[in-house]
Amino acid sequence: MSLRLKLLLLGLATLVLPWGGCNYAREMEAALREGERNSLQAVSQTIAASLQGRTDLLYRESPPPSDAQSTAQADTPPAGPADARDAGVLVAGPYDLKPLALTAAPLLDGYSEDWPHEPAAWAHFRKDAHHHFDVLSGVFERMLYVLLEVHDEHPVFDAPGGNTLDPATFGDRVWIGLQDQEGEEHQLFLAATGPGALNARRIETGEYGQQSAPVEPRVRAAWQSTKDGYRIEMRVPLSMIGSRFGVLVDDRDARGGVPVSYGSLRSDDLHTLGRLIVAAPDLGSYLGQFLQPGIRLAVSTPDGRVLARADALAQTVSLGSEAPILARLYRRFVDRPQDRQLIEAEAPIYDRDHAAVIGKLQVTQTPDRWIRLRDHALTRMLNFTLGTSIVAVIAMFAFAAWLALRLARLRRASESALTRAGLVTSFPETEVQDELGDVARGFSTLLSRLNEYTSYLRTLAGKLAHEIRTPLTIVRSSLDNLEAEQVSESARLYLERARQGSERLSAILLAMGAATRVEEAIGSAERVDFDLVAVLASAVAAYGDAFPARCLRSELPAHPVSLNGAPDLIVQMLDKLIDNAVDFSAAGATITVRLQLEAHSAVVEVENPGPPLPPHVEGRLFESLWQSRPEGDTRPHFGLGLYIVRLIAEFHGGEARAMNLPGGDGVRIAVRLAR
Amino acid sequence: MKRLVAIVEDEAALRDNYAAAFSREGYAVRTYADRAQAMQAFSTRLPDLAVIDISLEDEPEGGFELCRQLRALSAELPIIFLTARDSEIDAVSGLRLGADDFLTKDLSLPHLIARVNALFRRVEALRQPSVASDIIHRGALTLDAERMQAQWDGKVVLLSLTEFWIVHALARHPGHVRNRQQLMDAANVVLDDNTITSHVKRIRRKFQSVDPKFDAVQTVYGMGYRWVE
Repeated sequence: MSLRLKLLLLGLATLVLPWGGCNYAREMEAALREGERNSLQAVSQTIAASLQGRTDLLYRESPPPSDAQSTAQADTPPAGPADARDAGVLVAGPYDLKPLALTAAPLLDGYSEDWPHEPAAWAHFRKDAHHHFDVLSGVFERMLYVLLEVHDEHPVFDAPGGNTLDPATFGDRVWIGLQDQEGEEHQLFLAATGPGALNARRIETGEYGQQSAPVEPRVRAAWQSTKDGYRIEMRVPLSMIGSRFGVLVDDRDARGGVPVSYGSLRSDDLHTLGRLIVAAPDLGSYLGQFLQPGIRLAVSTPDGRVLARADALAQTVSLGSEAPILARLYRRFVDRPQDRQLIEAEAPIYDRDHAAVIGKLQVTQTPDRWIRLRDHALTRMLNFTLGTSIVAVIAMFAFAAWLALRLARLRRASESALTRAGLVTSFPETEVQDELGDVARGFSTLLSRLNEYTSYLRTLAGKLAHEIRTPLTIVRSSLDNLEAEQVSESARLYLERARQGSERLSAILLAMGAATRVEEAIGSAERVDFDLVAVLASAVAAYGDAFPARCLRSELPAHPVSLNGAPDLIVQMLDKLIDNAVDFSAAGATITVRLQLEAHSAVVEVENPGPPLPPHVEGRLFESLWQSRPEGDTRPHFGLGLYIVRLIAEFHGGEARAMNLPGGDGVRIAVRLAR
Repeated sequence: MKRLVAIVEDEAALRDNYAAAFSREGYAVRTYADRAQAMQAFSTRLPDLAVIDISLEDEPEGGFELCRQLRALSAELPIIFLTARDSEIDAVSGLRLGADDFLTKDLSLPHLIARVNALFRRVEALRQPSVASDIIHRGALTLDAERMQAQWDGKVVLLSLTEFWIVHALARHPGHVRNRQQLMDAANVVLDDNTITSHVKRIRRKFQSVDPKFDAVQTVYGMGYRWVE
């Protein structure tokens, strides 16, 4: 694992910041939600307080009650007589209609599909098993909608085209009774001559007693037959209706027959028996003034029936622009499904005396408002923390890269600091006052010590050769002198041995001084232009005689290759290479000398079969006083041969490299010479 | 009268060994340990030949100084440097000071004696008219084996003893390759390849100073050298 990667991972640890931010946002959201709930509660209480005692708004009951006909007093009133009036508003009698607060206007077509499905809201009127009808009513925008499901085994239409007042033409008829704002009773009848739209008519008596049945244009209705009777859908403007409303069905089994009348009108004088418990049309607009986007207000009766509502839930609040993709991404981390639920608050609406509950106010709010608030804050915070993290990661990565760069520079310098010429003077990083600088200084000191040591070693051989030469000469000259003396035959034997020993010693001395002499020769060498191919060919031919136990093969270009350099040195270099190849190959082996030409260099290669290079010799092979030879080799070697090769290669602007042959059964030494 | 050989050498054992060898050959020998002693004796009487070590006692270059002074006293006196120092620079400076030969100490005593004898022979020959039989003519080259003198186009080329013997060995059989060992044998020396190479280089340079177009000594790479006419 590289330093860079480690510090990068460390930098990723700063991602804890956004994670903590998310958690913080969640907590903040819970607090917001709680605050929102409280404020919603306060709002609902305020609105409820403003509606205190407003039965006129809630139930269209003006303060002086007109409940003389009300039969709704049957249930126990909640408190004393003062409350009876208000309580009477709330307790529904058997003939009372409690319209739903519709969210849309039903289409007047005689079908019930567009009505809300609320079985509890139906009012049932029953004469006997054959005569009963159900009423569903609803209010939408100052209109009362009434749906009648009449059970009738024999629906009878009015005679078409006839006088609607002629009893002989009477079919099934539906009467509507209503008491207007002034308390005056009005009756309308619906007489269908066929399915579809039908008109409401009222009976008027003229000055002279003649009766007419003009169409009441404000009331619209439609008739459809059903499988066990018929259905009537009608619409009456609330402005026509005061507090009372009733429906009566005249069921005839034959046209002009005697009807069976039943419903919420008195069948004899069509007096309205039931009330219409519905909020004043103004209640909706009253609620509307409190409306804000994302809020729904609803006023309901104490038992939960909605009287009026004002709805702006679907309206959204905009909080300005934000990066939608990022925001969506953030939300994915933070959102929990239950957070999306609506919040609700409820407050009771009291009567004027603050004793009885006349209704309830419900306030509903979408979570959008605070979720948007939270998103806004969250986005900003996450942007900030993520930005911080990214900056931290980038900074750490850059720092690591910089460190790695410095370390690499240090490593390269420490690898190449020690050259043949000694220590490179400028070791990097030594001026820097940090730990790496300490390391660099340590390295520098170490290398300079190593340098002293190697230069001592390098001169050691020469010095040793020089110092040994004089005593050796003493030995040899003494032996020479001794030979001239009269010595016995047996002594001559020892003399001969001593001479052999001294000769070996002087051979050793010669070898030890070889590198110094080559360095001298290089120092005084003259460069000439010569044909490298001819020199190599001539030399290889000579080696064939010198090493009869080896087969020498040369692969040289057919054309002359001109090189600027010292041919003597080249031959000397080849001597060392061949010596080396001979030393490391078995008798009878083939040694190949090859010259390859490259763009700006000529490469002399010498290959010999034999043991491959041990891995640890890589790069050291061409150093002075270094050798890797098998145990048991008794000939004097000082590890100078390939060092001399390197010196000569460097003199020719090149380099020497050693490598194993592809098969691993031999070694190739390649010397690159600059052309 | 015995010829007088002066040996200037600070190593006593070596000095005595050389003295014994020269005495055995019939030379009169005087030995000196340092330059002061030697110069004092030489100012009274010049030896017939001087063998000088380069570093003398506390003077690392004392031998060179001595050679210069001796050469000032006599132009003909044969001087041989015999030293443990084998660097090219030392050899060049020694020969430039007018020494007749520059030898390293690993030379055996018989070889040394052979050289001294040869140098005396040359001194002798220079005093007498040349004998035609010992003269080799190879084109522009004239080699007088007795006087150990080489001429190119009639001009004298000053060669050291070792150099003369190398040229002699090469020019005697023109066209034949003489390897380094053969050249060393001819010159009565034991040298390493680089020293032979620098000897040959010096020989070429000396001939070229007389005739810039000289290229009669040819290198046969890997084998040796040959004389081409």
